[in-house]
Amino acid sequence: MSDYSVVGKKLPRVDAVEKVTGAAQYGADVHPAGMLYGKIVRSKHAHAKILSIDTSEAEKLPGVRAIITQDDVPSGRRVFATDKVLYLGEPLAAVAATDADVAEEAAELIKIEYEVLPVVQDVMESIKSSAPRLHGDETKDGPNRRDINAKIKELSSDQEDDNSDTIRKLKAELEQYSDEVYYNISAETHNEAGDVEKGFAESDVVVEDTYVIPRVHQTYMEPHVSVASADSSGKITVWASTQGPFAIRSGIAGTLGIPLTQINVIGTTMGGGFGGRFGVIITHVPAVLLSQKSGRPVRVQMTREEEFLDGRPAPGCVIKIKTGATKDGHILARQALAFWDSGSVSGASIGSTIRVRGVYKIPNIKIDAYGVHTNKSGTAAYRAPGAPQAIFAGESQLDDIAEQIGMDPVKFRLMNMREEGDAVPAGGSEPKVGYKETLEAVADAAGWWDREADDNQGWGVAIGDWTNGCGPGGVYVSVHEDGSARIFHGSMDITGTDTAITQIIAEILTVPYENVTIRRGDTDSAPYSTGSGGSVVTFTMGNTAKLAAEDARRRILELAAERLNTNEDNLELKDGAVHIVTADPPKSISLGELAAYSLSTTGGPIVGKGSFARQPSTPALAAQIAKVEVDPDTGRTRVLKLVASQDVGFAINPMAVEGQIEGGTVQGYAWAMMEEMQYGDNGNINPGFVDYRVPTSADLPTVESVIVEVPAPNGPYGAKGVGEPPITPTLATMANAVKDAVGIRVTELPIKPEKVVEALKNNGHGA
Amino acid sequence: MKSFEFFEPTTLAEASSLFAQKHAQLLAGGTDLVIGMKAYTETPETVISLQKIPGLDGITTDNDKSISIGAMTKVRQVELSEDIQQYHTALAEGASEIGSIQIRNLATIGGNIAHASPAADTVAGLLVADAQVDIASADGERSVPINELFTGPGQTVLKPGEIITQFRLLHPASGSHYIKHKIREVMDLAFIGVASAVNMQNGVIKEARIGLAAVAPTPIRATEAENLLSGKTPTPELLAQAGEAAAAATSPISDLRCSAEHRKEMVDVLTRRTLQNALDRV
Repeated sequence: MSDYSVVGKKLPRVDAVEKVTGAAQYGADVHPAGMLYGKIVRSKHAHAKILSIDTSEAEKLPGVRAIITQDDVPSGRRVFATDKVLYLGEPLAAVAATDADVAEEAAELIKIEYEVLPVVQDVMESIKSSAPRLHGDETKDGPNRRDINAKIKELSSDQEDDNSDTIRKLKAELEQYSDEVYYNISAETHNEAGDVEKGFAESDVVVEDTYVIPRVHQTYMEPHVSVASADSSGKITVWASTQGPFAIRSGIAGTLGIPLTQINVIGTTMGGGFGGRFGVIITHVPAVLLSQKSGRPVRVQMTREEEFLDGRPAPGCVIKIKTGATKDGHILARQALAFWDSGSVSGASIGSTIRVRGVYKIPNIKIDAYGVHTNKSGTAAYRAPGAPQAIFAGESQLDDIAEQIGMDPVKFRLMNMREEGDAVPAGGSEPKVGYKETLEAVADAAGWWDREADDNQGWGVAIGDWTNGCGPGGVYVSVHEDGSARIFHGSMDITGTDTAITQIIAEILTVPYENVTIRRGDTDSAPYSTGSGGSVVTFTMGNTAKLAAEDARRRILELAAERLNTNEDNLELKDGAVHIVTADPPKSISLGELAAYSLSTTGGPIVGKGSFARQPSTPALAAQIAKVEVDPDTGRTRVLKLVASQDVGFAINPMAVEGQIEGGTVQGYAWAMMEEMQYGDNGNINPGFVDYRVPTSADLPTVESVIVEVPAPNGPYGAKGVGEPPITPTLATMANAVKDAVGIRVTELPIKPEKVVEALKNNGHGA
Repeated sequence: MKSFEFFEPTTLAEASSLFAQKHAQLLAGGTDLVIGMKAYTETPETVISLQKIPGLDGITTDNDKSISIGAMTKVRQVELSEDIQQYHTALAEGASEIGSIQIRNLATIGGNIAHASPAADTVAGLLVADAQVDIASADGERSVPINELFTGPGQTVLKPGEIITQFRLLHPASGSHYIKHKIREVMDLAFIGVASAVNMQNGVIKEARIGLAAVAPTPIRATEAENLLSGKTPTPELLAQAGEAAAAATSPISDLRCSAEHRKEMVDVLTRRTLQNALDRV
């Protein structure tokens, strides 16, 4: 690895100067001439029938240029609520006016008559027959009813009559599970391998608990914003703060029935995304509609309050989980039943419930997961969607098992880990992944094996797995007459991905890093690129960039062979020039000279093209250890040490990778200790940073990052996606450390002081 | 933000007569008012800045160790004042708990108090300093003890046109301490705030003052607990009794931050703890 000169190095980010000087253009910096200010009119109730919407007073207000409701959506696709609102803050109309205050005032003047309906915000209430129905009366069976009904169906299809008694008995049994008729279900998923009942029966220790994880917001620094401009020809330009300009283009086209290439999406510098910045309808579609109606450019920008009311946060969930193990430490069975809070629409990451399996050999497993409608906004991705929730339950329970059988939590995990070649439940076999290396690395770095703790101090460990996504992308690279190289592509920079792409191309072309520049095009100009989410960018665009640079190198060697009158086999590209390997005295030609020469050749300028769509990814592991101190009287927890290791495959830029590990770990810490969207009788009650707490640098020590590199076969230079894994274990790491410190198992996050004091009282503290 | 008329008077008299109008608000540091105006929770028709009136800021210490703090004194100055740190440690600690350094460089102690939030971070420290609040208006001047200033959340005895000019801290404490119960280490609002101050004589508590924030509609003194302590030799049992008495004096609410029960329990815990720390500092 040390053979590389640019990749694998801690180089400064290509966008460092524009970020530090404030030159970077964010969505709110876009201000086309004549721009109007949009404001979305939102429901004041969490659940209500809409009786009427009266815009007449607002229309009279001077400065108001357009007001839209669902009637202005020609495609009929739902952009605004019409008959019924399902959450506080749901959009009902939008206004565009000559300044932001007029827009605000106009929004207040729109009169909406509601008939308030009963509200349900808790998933366990929503599945009951007593809950108000959000979308209809369809019901789904719980796990036991599913099993019984499956048996009945199997027997009924049998032609033999003597099954009727059995069927009658099964039907009676069905009655016992009448509380397993679930209402308001938005989606369901079921996985099963082996026989969990048998596994539990053979276990010496079985632990069962219910874990409750709150809904949290991605809290990116920049709220959603878009500026749309529809010209007289029908051409639409959207400056969008988004992780995926091409997805926004197709989303707007699909929602509004506009031809795809009549829309140009310009991605503005992103003030954080974390998975929450892919929404099409949130601001982009209203901005387009307002611009079409007013004939002027319109900016729609959310406030922080609107972000909480109508963003697409991470779903909360309730996970009932049961694990069985032998007393010598083999996990035999695990079963989970999860209810994910998908809000007003379907779409919570219920499939991630399977993450309770972790990277362990568990022969018997059964997962039943349901998405449940509630009177809340819909949800979206947040950094390894669904994994932190499921892994919190799985890894917390694992510690309780380890404690009951008297095994060290790290050793217990190490002995149960899958190994290379083991069968993978989804099919195929386990690739080489640094599972053990990563956990051992964090244990060594944290001093786990000779750890000490004073009174009320404790240590916690947990691991989390995730696999990066992959998607299509295109990259061009040109070499100029001054020997510099310029990259052109269409993917949004997310936490240093432009830097990684630049490093890869500089490495291959042997152009000094500072002489390689990168430009992002809009959807009109750039080749298609997958969205910047799911840890895909360095994997996908890194591979694409590699292909582009190799293509350019082919042309460079071709030109050099022509110019130096030699065979390509004798040539080597090194230090920004092509050298004849065998020449004595040495003979070479610089990239600049070749680029100049290329302009008068038949073959033309040096342009490399890379186009890539898919290669299998390799799982990654994050392992973390925390040392905490709990004040048993006030319930406050202080982190004394937080160490995070991760198998990153290969760190293209170790500094950026450390940043990702630190950032993900801190977000996991926040979810464990303080973040929580709270709901009162009528929707979200903490829509702002006063009572939705994100941590500051004063809350925890510097996260110590440990990079483990077990190369991924298909990653560029062996790299894996690094953004998502580090958030996955932290929730359980913190809970396990608190358990070790003061003996209480917190099953409901966040671990707020009041909860700790209560739990300690129940444990006899202070009595 | 709604449009408003803006004045920058240079005398208190002028400010007072402007302030006597309906729907007028005073602008000191602006860290509460401007945020409220942006959120449309404050919609004054008139905003009167106090920033151009000379003599409203600064900290002065007299020979008898009594301290005057001008109402327009920045919270950061209160936090960093050596005299306040020495004689009214709890107040300096309270000031250090407000927002961020940037906020503390703008916010004023007068604003923090006049806003009358039961959770204000300087209020418990001023309560245990037994501060006098000097008030001016076009009709003249008057002074009220800090524990008589508040009448409810956001409510004070201030009449239209009356402006707080300074706080006089006449009773230095030989030891005091403030603890804010919170989740986040910095930049959080007080779930509760507790300050204790003691003066000792020959190993006996000569006087003790306990100030409590965010546990009642107004900030309060825990006078029964104070009386329990006075004239006694401090022991863990005595402090425990004081903690219980302080908790009994509260009438907290349950809200999204925590329950009333938790607030009461924490008053007990933190009264004991602040008293012990105050005693240790003597």
